[in-house]
Amino acid sequence: MIKGYAGRILEIQLETEKFVFKPLDEDIAQLYIGGKGYGTRLLYDLTEPGIDPLSAANPLIFATGPLNGSVAPQTNRFAVVCKSPLTGGIGNATCGGSFAYAMKRAGVDLIIVQGSARSPRRIEIEDDAVRFLPADDLWGQGTYATQEALGKKLKHAVIGPAGENRVLYAGIVSDERIAGRTGVGAVMGSKNLKAISINGKRKLEMDDPDAFKAYTKTVRDLFKEHPVLGESMKRFGTGAIVNTTNGRNIIPTHNFKYGHFDDAMQVSGEHMEEHELVGVKSSCIHCPVTCGRDVEVEGVGRVKGPEYETLALLGPNLEIGNLKNVNEWNYLADDLGMDTISLGATLSFAMELQERGMFEAGVSFGDPDGISELIQDIGHRRGTGDMLADGTRRMAERLGGMEFAMHVKGLELSAYDPRGSFAQGVEYATTNRGGCHVQGASMYLESVGPLTINPQNLKLKADIPVIQQNLACAINSMVLCIFSTYGMFPAAIHNMDPSSRTHWALSKMMENMGPLFRGFMGIKGKPMLWWEKWLTYITGETMSSGHIQEIGARIFNLERIYNLREGLTQADDTLPSRILHEPTFPGQTSGHPLDALLPRYYTLRGWDAQGVPTTKTLDKLQIRHSA
Amino acid sequence: MSVTVQLTYDMAREVGEPRLEISGARTVADVVRLTREKFPGDTTQFDKLSRVAALAVNGVLIHHRRGKKTAVEDGDLVAFVKAAAGG
Ligand code: SF4
Repeated sequence: MIKGYAGRILEIQLETEKFVFKPLDEDIAQLYIGGKGYGTRLLYDLTEPGIDPLSAANPLIFATGPLNGSVAPQTNRFAVVCKSPLTGGIGNATCGGSFAYAMKRAGVDLIIVQGSARSPRRIEIEDDAVRFLPADDLWGQGTYATQEALGKKLKHAVIGPAGENRVLYAGIVSDERIAGRTGVGAVMGSKNLKAISINGKRKLEMDDPDAFKAYTKTVRDLFKEHPVLGESMKRFGTGAIVNTTNGRNIIPTHNFKYGHFDDAMQVSGEHMEEHELVGVKSSCIHCPVTCGRDVEVEGVGRVKGPEYETLALLGPNLEIGNLKNVNEWNYLADDLGMDTISLGATLSFAMELQERGMFEAGVSFGDPDGISELIQDIGHRRGTGDMLADGTRRMAERLGGMEFAMHVKGLELSAYDPRGSFAQGVEYATTNRGGCHVQGASMYLESVGPLTINPQNLKLKADIPVIQQNLACAINSMVLCIFSTYGMFPAAIHNMDPSSRTHWALSKMMENMGPLFRGFMGIKGKPMLWWEKWLTYITGETMSSGHIQEIGARIFNLERIYNLREGLTQADDTLPSRILHEPTFPGQTSGHPLDALLPRYYTLRGWDAQGVPTTKTLDKLQIRHSA
Repeated sequence: MSVTVQLTYDMAREVGEPRLEISGARTVADVVRLTREKFPGDTTQFDKLSRVAALAVNGVLIHHRRGKKTAVEDGDLVAFVKAAAGG
């Protein structure tokens, strides 16, 4: 067995309450690493086309990778893969905390949950023992209470009422973190599975533990000094982006009608640090970045505070500039177990419908009244909440307003308006799970990072998403935290005067080095970046940028052919009409120029004009596929 | 003619307001100069805090326009913006 893997897949049948440990397939591990990549391969192979995502036929796959189980920073996330009930295509989400670490301790790389239980159940896994237990007493409980009831001995992945009630954007919660996107929690709820708890005593075996240890120390020191990983994210969390996106006119405001909100500073990470933060900040296991915040919610106590996406989508997007409101709604969403990105965009859609007299949502922009109650109703599918629990696309299909329903492929957009971030727009349009930013984070190179290209011309706007999506696919398969990529710019770039000639020259150089950039990223040489070195030291297989790009492209294309198999088409590679046609910048006559960028994106991907990967592309990437 | 200046959080703390209204500026350079004049205390603090921020006019970095010579018009929003990361 390749080092870094436990070598076992646990397959569970919920109907019969039987389980079996199967050996990990080394060939798949070599081609797809683990995590999202391995999980997608299994989903493709194990399911018939066209299954109902909320039926027993949809397997729910929990997947770790070779970095999990180590003590290196940011290396303990797990992926969840299934068919998405929200999009009808590939569903996946990753989650931090300590569950991934515990899976590896139990000697399990992946858990495949098949079928559904007849009544609420939970599963405990300790090394080789697997126990099926009733969960009737936990059914209906929030994610905080559920984890508390399950105790500290094992690590848990649980759903709240939103998952039980099959809210289509319900997530799976572990510690204070959530595998939020694409409705993976609804799939778990459809299986009547409340929780999986796991731990064990195994240790991760590495190919070169000494090199790993020494290098990890170097990385920890580097992180400590780094302006983002050691300073800004530590002090302000991801909420530090609020003032940046607000200044760049790309913070969603009033259901993405505008890109700037006057009171945004009141919900920023800096404001949280100064006025709302209480005590120690939370962190995923072994991560020194500690990007999590703890805040106080009245009547509840100390809970995890909101991250950037939540701040933006439940703040400016609803025209709310009071952090206490956002803290409370974030807590409710976490406890009910649902994705705050989809929630925020669905609430703003409902508000706009109401503004236009198309729906009686009972909530309005700029007014916090009724929002807490509506969030509860969504989680329990009560009254109006039942409609919102299906997300923006289905609401628009029933009520109208598709032109301002802010989703791609059914997944609600994250908090970076692509009209001021063209590469991010291409990424949203083409990302297989739908409108999400952490499947590439192109915006970092064009609209929020320390060295950005002009985000509003066509240069590199199709190239960056390809490279970034490939990288993110590989990262989500190791399974590393995507925030690790924010360490790629050295401190010297961060510390440079952004108004200086040198800064300008570097930005121009970056913008004009497309072929060089692609060529450099494609080189299969020595490992350079920390995740490449960690993978090399752990598995014994050399991993460089070129290897990562190739594996990432393989995973991305496999997801693509899964989506095509499930009925998605080129027509789904689009952006909301509002983003394409309504300008938000003075001088803009329309929105995002997607039509001008997609053909090049398809070419770079090795797809035909209809967005279908050619046989040559699939063969080159060694992707097994049905004809 | 008046433009709104969006400050960084640290600058806003010094000024006591998240934004300032500036009259009489024709270019970004004028905006910076007039903001500096409105800053409380001695100007070293303004120089320190503004040095880490890029400038954007209506969301577009002045790098992609004419730098500090970029013209401003009545009602424009000029923002001091720090780089950030997360998600
Ligand atoms: S940076 Fe934040 S999300 Fe990522 S591993 Fe560390 S604590 Fe977890």
